[in-house]
Amino acid sequence: MTRHGLSQIWGILLLFLAWQLWVTAGAYNAIVIPRPLDVLADLVTDPSAYLEPTAATVLVAVLGLALGTLLGAGLAIAAWTSRVLAGMLTPLGLVFSSVPVVCLIPVLARLFGYDERTVLAVVAVITFFPCFVFTAAGLRATPPMTAELFRSLGARRAKVLLRLALPAAVPQMMIALRVTAAQSILAAMVAEFLMGTGGLGNLFAVSHTDFKMSRAFGASLVAMVLSTVVYAATARAERRVRERWT
Amino acid sequence: MGRASQIVYGALGVVLFLAGWEVIGQYRLAGLTWPPLSTVIEFLGTSSRWPLFGRALASTMSSAATGFLIGVSLGLVLALGVHLLPRLRPGTDRLAAMVNAIPAIALGPILIVTFDRAGTPAALAAIHVFFLVYVAVSSGLTAAQRAQQDLLTVLGAKRTMRLKLLEAPAALPAFASSLKVALSASILGAILGEWFGAPRGLGVIILNAMENFQIPLLWSAVLLAAGISLALFGLATWLERAVHRRFR
Repeated sequence: MTRHGLSQIWGILLLFLAWQLWVTAGAYNAIVIPRPLDVLADLVTDPSAYLEPTAATVLVAVLGLALGTLLGAGLAIAAWTSRVLAGMLTPLGLVFSSVPVVCLIPVLARLFGYDERTVLAVVAVITFFPCFVFTAAGLRATPPMTAELFRSLGARRAKVLLRLALPAAVPQMMIALRVTAAQSILAAMVAEFLMGTGGLGNLFAVSHTDFKMSRAFGASLVAMVLSTVVYAATARAERRVRERWT
Repeated sequence: MGRASQIVYGALGVVLFLAGWEVIGQYRLAGLTWPPLSTVIEFLGTSSRWPLFGRALASTMSSAATGFLIGVSLGLVLALGVHLLPRLRPGTDRLAAMVNAIPAIALGPILIVTFDRAGTPAALAAIHVFFLVYVAVSSGLTAAQRAQQDLLTVLGAKRTMRLKLLEAPAALPAFASSLKVALSASILGAILGEWFGAPRGLGVIILNAMENFQIPLLWSAVLLAAGISLALFGLATWLERAVHRRFR
């Protein structure tokens, strides 16, 4: 391993080492806390057990992201077309973006029922508010004088939206995506844990009650790696877009 | 848009939202599990329930506050540490990002073993807060302009002197912004942490009310939690503005 690589991951290695030592020295029963090596072993020996739950969680996270983004961007566009609507929605958007959404899971569960719809709704709600706030800000942040130019050339409102405001909002929407995408996997997992509807959260819950702690923590490890990878990917995409757009 | 019309439109939006909540509840447009706002407020306003909410609130708030203080201190210390020892920074960044990516439901069992059930909410809040503060402060400390750094160095300022006179004040706006998000994060962390078998707290009420179909109780507790994070958010926004005015 190169020196550069080691300077990046020594912290993570240290954490795993401390975990292994802590469990071994503390002589915790494997039912309470598994050893990291056992978790890795379970992941390697039985990867098929993780495949379906992972796919389910990724699917619901992606669908929820898409739904939330669509709704958030749609509402932001509606606010862009009407000054009154913008004045009414902007404070609400700010209010809601500070509400702890994960606490809403029980309410959503009661509204939508104990199934995938609730998980989907949780991810959509988490995505919705940042997307609305950032897109609305982006739509207003057109380069100076361009709006005047469009107007003096006689462009219709729809054209201004499509050719000017929406492209100007794309970098802001990418920020919203970076903020929410990684979060959506973890939130989906919490919701699945409470709903018992399949996916990594459910795999954790089921394995936990069966005292298969290695598998439960394996599910967490998969979710952790997924959300880290998604974060890195969206951060890179955001940088790319920003460089090309501005 | 003028400031006055902004306030009027904003208030109108909030009123319409609350009215919509009431109407949906009254006419049961979203089923039996969506109570009208007036029912929830009446439920919250009944004085015989105040001890219940009071105890839960005090417990959640004290967990959140403990977690907040621990998380902020840890984040500050570690950010200062990697600032003074830059070689440790890439590894610490990765470690912090990974700890933040551990699903809360996996942290729950580990924290229960380490800090027992009563301490888990504060620990989970501390982890959330730590990450936000660490990221903001460690990048804020490098925000001072190169020319100012050089000036101080030329004038003979030592490392600690530079930190005190230039870099720490330059990091304050980022620190204040991170505190703002960290406040709501600490409430969220505490409530989530309470889902893993804490003896009392708002999170316990929320989860039990969901399982026992106590709809007004569920919404009251969620409304209370949302109200608190909003109030803290407002307070922190005010603080943040003051810091930004002074140090930018």
